[in-house]
Amino acid sequence: MDFDRRAMLGAAAAGMLARPAWAQKPGTTARMRTINAMMTDEPAHLNYPLFNTRIMQEICGNINESLLLFDWQFKPKPNLARGHEMSPDGMRYTFHLRPDVAWHDGAPFTARDVAFSCGVMLPQLNPRSRGAFSHVREIKAVDRYTVRFEMKEPFNAFLLSLMASSAPMMPAHIYEGTNFRTNPYNFKPVGTGPFKFNRWARGQYIHLTRNEKYWRPDQPGMDGIYYRVCPTPEQRLVAMESGAVDLAMADDIDTVVNKRMVANPNVVARSDAFNGTGEICVMEMNHRRWPFSDRRFRAAYMHAINREFLVKAINFGLGKVAHSPIPSDLPYYDDKALTKYHYDPARARALLDEMGLKPGKGGVRHRFGIMMIPDGGGYWTRMAHYIKQALSEVGLEASLESTDWPTFSRRSGNWEFDVDCNSYGQYGDPAIGTARFFLSSNIRKGVPQTNIQGYNNPEVDSLFAKAAVAVDAAEAQAHYSRLQQVLTHDVAMLWMFERKPMFFYNKRLKNVIMGPNGPADGFGSVRLA
Amino acid sequence: MKDFLRVFLSRPIPLIGLVIFAAIVAVALLAPFVFARGPFTIVGMPLLPPGAPGLLVGSDVLGRDMAVGLAYGARISLLVGITSTLCAVGIGVLLGAVAGYYGGWLDDLLMRVTEFFQIIPSFVLLMVLVAFLQPSLSSTVIGIALVTWPQVARVVRGEFLSLRGREFVQAARTLGMGDARIIFTQVLPNALPPIIVVSSMMVGTAILTESALSFLGLGDPNLLSWGSMIGGSRSAMWVAWWTTVMPGLAIMITVLALNFIGDGLNDALNPRRRR
Amino acid sequence: MSRLSYIGARLVKTVLITIAVILLSFFLIRLAPGDTATVMAGQAGFADEAFMKSLRAEYGLDQPVPVQLWKYVQAVAQGDLGNSFVRRQPVLDVILERLPNTVLLNAFALLVAIAGGVLLGMIAARRPGSVGDASVTVLSMLFYAMPQFWLGMMAMLVFSVWLSWLPPFGIETMGADYTGLARIGDIAVHMILPGVTLALYFMASYARLTRTAMIEVADQDFVKTARAKGISEGQVARRHILRNALIPLITFAGLQAAILVGGSVLVENVFSWPGIGTLAYEAVTTRDNPLLLGIFIVTAILVSLFNLVTDIAYSIADPRVELGR
Repeated sequence: MDFDRRAMLGAAAAGMLARPAWAQKPGTTARMRTINAMMTDEPAHLNYPLFNTRIMQEICGNINESLLLFDWQFKPKPNLARGHEMSPDGMRYTFHLRPDVAWHDGAPFTARDVAFSCGVMLPQLNPRSRGAFSHVREIKAVDRYTVRFEMKEPFNAFLLSLMASSAPMMPAHIYEGTNFRTNPYNFKPVGTGPFKFNRWARGQYIHLTRNEKYWRPDQPGMDGIYYRVCPTPEQRLVAMESGAVDLAMADDIDTVVNKRMVANPNVVARSDAFNGTGEICVMEMNHRRWPFSDRRFRAAYMHAINREFLVKAINFGLGKVAHSPIPSDLPYYDDKALTKYHYDPARARALLDEMGLKPGKGGVRHRFGIMMIPDGGGYWTRMAHYIKQALSEVGLEASLESTDWPTFSRRSGNWEFDVDCNSYGQYGDPAIGTARFFLSSNIRKGVPQTNIQGYNNPEVDSLFAKAAVAVDAAEAQAHYSRLQQVLTHDVAMLWMFERKPMFFYNKRLKNVIMGPNGPADGFGSVRLA
Repeated sequence: MKDFLRVFLSRPIPLIGLVIFAAIVAVALLAPFVFARGPFTIVGMPLLPPGAPGLLVGSDVLGRDMAVGLAYGARISLLVGITSTLCAVGIGVLLGAVAGYYGGWLDDLLMRVTEFFQIIPSFVLLMVLVAFLQPSLSSTVIGIALVTWPQVARVVRGEFLSLRGREFVQAARTLGMGDARIIFTQVLPNALPPIIVVSSMMVGTAILTESALSFLGLGDPNLLSWGSMIGGSRSAMWVAWWTTVMPGLAIMITVLALNFIGDGLNDALNPRRRR
Repeated sequence: MSRLSYIGARLVKTVLITIAVILLSFFLIRLAPGDTATVMAGQAGFADEAFMKSLRAEYGLDQPVPVQLWKYVQAVAQGDLGNSFVRRQPVLDVILERLPNTVLLNAFALLVAIAGGVLLGMIAARRPGSVGDASVTVLSMLFYAMPQFWLGMMAMLVFSVWLSWLPPFGIETMGADYTGLARIGDIAVHMILPGVTLALYFMASYARLTRTAMIEVADQDFVKTARAKGISEGQVARRHILRNALIPLITFAGLQAAILVGGSVLVENVFSWPGIGTLAYEAVTTRDNPLLLGIFIVTAILVSLFNLVTDIAYSIADPRVELGR
């Protein structure tokens, strides 16, 4: 039928030949020098540490900067800090700030801002920072442009915890002494970055404009950025293909149409833009409830699911099966330490039999609920549908539970679930992104994205603690290897797959992705190709 | 009755409607026997077009056979359409009858309530109800019944209002019949024709409403309904037209058949409106 | 009853109904599982007891329900619908920002529906039973049987994906930043697909209504008299038949005002139209209760006012009709 072929070809050709009138861009230079990006939905505010989600990273990464940047090997590079030193025992870090940096409102950026951000605001608001900065004993502003961090113990991931996505610098003169949740500047953020906040047209767009006084003389390369609300996946695809927007990040484009986007000659596709996040899609179980408390049940669950298929057919080849709590391409991953759970329904049935979960009426061994992520029918929903089906083959009847985000957070935070779908990012180091899901000290009722499973293993607690403070790299590796051995043997979590979200941009732009933090490092470097 | 059947079957439209509807009911009833593994079973690669080996209408975003999905979807649509209408008619007849028969403040109250339902956007109300009750088959049915009963109540009330003064009602009263008995054995049978016509149309509307809820992701996540098939294929619409076209056609044909039947009922039961 | 006092009485009724809407929605929203503080804490991704307590105090949730209700009613009376939980902006501002878009779309749709419906109805009524009549009937039944969101998607598939004639999404071209006439033209082009999708559904009913009314009126005495007086057929149709056939149409349009607002949730969602419908959907999925309440109240008031306007229009179209029953 001509119908679908035209649809397929039409888009590929859209840029070159028959671009419809409504998709034509007015050829003004103003338009040329503006970046157009998308938002699946609007953030509630633009207080970066208060709600550190991906869309916030993509917007606020241009406004609020970090002390350090990181290269593809996760080695630190200067940013707001032009240099830093660590004492040999790892107990003291000194940062030398650039003296020529100003906040968007003209106030100078000084040591006071760093002390306030890392000492007060970030630990209060951002769960990842709370963990990382708990190793810090004191932050001292030595002089106007020198800050010293005195540690309680050497914390080997400390520099990585200053990554842009985890530790953006916030203006002390605006937030100090105020209620961080209601401060009016949450809606007109002030930072030091290459772009400054200009306008928020609710329901339509957020506009950032170039910071003329930016401290890097050659940046920003563009005049401004629009983040446009595009709530439906079809709309985002069309917007990207027609050239109406220039960037499509992570969840903007449904994996279903991935191939088509990759084939588009006007679009550059990158799969490394979120390496710094190191995201793993998982399912979490409520270990307080039987049979989820039984290791054999969790192992059976893993054996029942064909995760190769999950990657191939549901995520359309993006990413790979996750065998470890640590992503396979990040430091500390140890393939030899792992217990792997390959697709083996017979083994799953045998394990369930061993537990005494015999098939009852209609072949059903056990019934439970799976709490779904509200993604509007995207790959999370497809994953839940597949898993429900796969489990039914071994006699487990899962009933899917729809949620919206408030409900999801409430139920997971209050431990009112059997099994849920979730994902976490390692953010450079297991101590920053991963440990918080397994430490018994992080079992905190009412707080989502903590150890909501109730996983409690003293050996794991002590291994994480020792690994984080190991000064010697080999020692840290030894602890993390043992951790992977214990956690995978325990099936401490149901690791599904390592997600490699795509980042697409129009080829009229260049210098878009400069490091493993991708869009979270901001778009100051972006130029016309 | 004979007269009714003669009129109903004499025109082609209701007859066509009846035949199509019977076919859909047959598909719905037979689905579990013909496709025993259920609509969630993955049979191949995603997004295979109609006519691919073994796939009459293609596969969906997960590689499931859409033909199986469509067959099972008929069960959901009919179940929701019929049960929610029955519930709405039950509530509507009861309240409408009481209000129309007794009149007075009861009637006033009912009229205000139905006005309330006309004034607030019923679909938004429905979304709220379903979301708060947690999306499931029963919450869909309850929600639809709760927002549609006032329609029935208005019709029933109108009929009762005009019938309650008639001679046969007076006669029944003088014979010493109780109110309940008069309502159900005397007035209601005479008010039935318009109720039947309204309900036949409501089944179709309820099916459309259910599909809209599922489309927005407010349906039962454990069931594959026509609306959720469309909603789940939104992002694939531009590369695989069949994923959205086919379930939509299924809904349209079903509702069309029901409206054809309703049209025939209207003509057969309502000689005044026949033209 | 004089027109003025009638309008006064109706306004009072509108106020009463609005109060009823406030009361009912207030309690409806309290049925949701988890109190508002847990919902908000969920949104913030953070919920220890101290934070929940401060939230409850901030939003007055620590007070007894009757006190909360009284405070809310008082605030509404002063035009204050409270603050949106999610957007942390006054609810009224959020709604008023979106309202013009919805009104624009619905007004356009209503116009297309009435114009198209009357036209089709007249064609059908000319020769009842003819092919033209039958095809109008079949078409209207088809549009009546389609899910509205699906019709929208199909229109998009054909006119945007396949033919590339019309823009599929949004209210204006992204990033074009048109001004003046160019902007108006841009918005008009974006309005076609969602507007016609909305209109087709109602057009079907208008066509049927017009057809019935015209056939009925054509048999009545005053039309026969007009004909006997030698007035041309065209004039009869325009001056006498159509005018009288308009009356049920107006009544119907009034009844559908609420459906138009509610029905546009789907069409606005499909076409990403930034109106009240998409706002309501967002409010439901983010559990933004003050915003939901606000939407109910504002739409209830709008629909009541719209009904009032149609009543007055009704009395102008047919002077024999007296206002008030």
